[in-house]
Amino acid sequence: MADDKDVLRDVWFGRIPACFTLSPEETTEREAEPYYLLLPRVSYLTLVTDKVKKHFLRVMKAEDVEEMWLEYEGTPLKWHYPIGVLFDLHASNTALPWNVTVHFKNFPEDDLLHCASNSVIEAHFMSCIKEADALKHKGQVINDMQKKDHKQLWMGLQNDKFDQFWAMNRKLMEYPTEEGGFRYIPFRIYQTMSDRPFIQKLFRPVSPEGHTLTLGDLLKELFPAAICAEDEPKRFQVVIHGIEPLLETPIQWLSEHLSHPDNFLHISIIPAPSD
Amino acid sequence: MSDNAESPTETQKDDPSIQHAATEQTGASDEKKKIDVLLKAVGDAPIMKTKKWSVERGRTVQSLAQFISRFLKLEASEQLFIYVNQSFAPSPDQEVGVLFECFGSDGKLVLHYCKSQAWG
Repeated sequence: MADDKDVLRDVWFGRIPACFTLSPEETTEREAEPYYLLLPRVSYLTLVTDKVKKHFLRVMKAEDVEEMWLEYEGTPLKWHYPIGVLFDLHASNTALPWNVTVHFKNFPEDDLLHCASNSVIEAHFMSCIKEADALKHKGQVINDMQKKDHKQLWMGLQNDKFDQFWAMNRKLMEYPTEEGGFRYIPFRIYQTMSDRPFIQKLFRPVSPEGHTLTLGDLLKELFPAAICAEDEPKRFQVVIHGIEPLLETPIQWLSEHLSHPDNFLHISIIPAPSD
Repeated sequence: MSDNAESPTETQKDDPSIQHAATEQTGASDEKKKIDVLLKAVGDAPIMKTKKWSVERGRTVQSLAQFISRFLKLEASEQLFIYVNQSFAPSPDQEVGVLFECFGSDGKLVLHYCKSQAWG
């Protein structure tokens, strides 16, 4: 369907305007100007912030520079989470641009993973895709692909090449017609105030009776607080790629069209804004 | 976590979140909080004498890897790679409880470990 393909493009090309400011704790030789950048929602911070690093390194002494890390309002930003997820989770209902603080020392070992090079990002990205395929197809589709096909997925993401990426990714979105959907849906539910990083469980897109299950069905089972009665004020927003999809949306459709390039459906549950 | 894990029984008192599955205390074993992990060596990785462990759900892959490294007395420079389903390496901050929920079978989570990248 032409409309559905447009959704894939809209998701891929989603951008978040960000303003990077050097932390006042950093030592500089002269004043550092903020740096503005449009961040791809579907990419990873360490993959797209080389220019930010270069910009601030110009005003710093080499001996004051260690691995760069980013923070928003005191919360270290995990580079291994997709950028759009970080924004939706932490800064959804705030004014743009997204104000991110840049650090070059005191790396928070307990909160962040190190990222020595792009190959670390590639390994993480491919691992997520493999995990997702393990859930969708028992890993059969990704295992049948050749190494160069895997490389194409990564290069597509790294170089922002939608067609190159989806030429391969469409295979990961197929399923036997008689099944009605994937074996299990790869998804993660995030919330800011939680003792665990995210919720991830086995969830079939079709019920044993053959009914197509929806986003609402998923939440009813795993996060019932997000579903409120008609007369109740809404306590939570359920956000995917910056929008609140209707709860009636089939989860299989969401998995095929609103997943990130890592093939996971990342869902952020945030407190509804109080007017 | 303790640095003095010399044998399986010692780790019980040093690190209660990872216990030898066969010596689980009666009454104290909370099925909801701990999951069974079966560790399998790949390639030239040393084989653990004790393969089955009871691990708290909230334990991360990284801390489990550190535990295995210490148990096997690996050098600090030697890396350890952990794989699920013999196909993907979970993120170091991933919780074993989540992996068990999604990829466990027959009541346990099988993890393969090796000193070099096995499945890319």
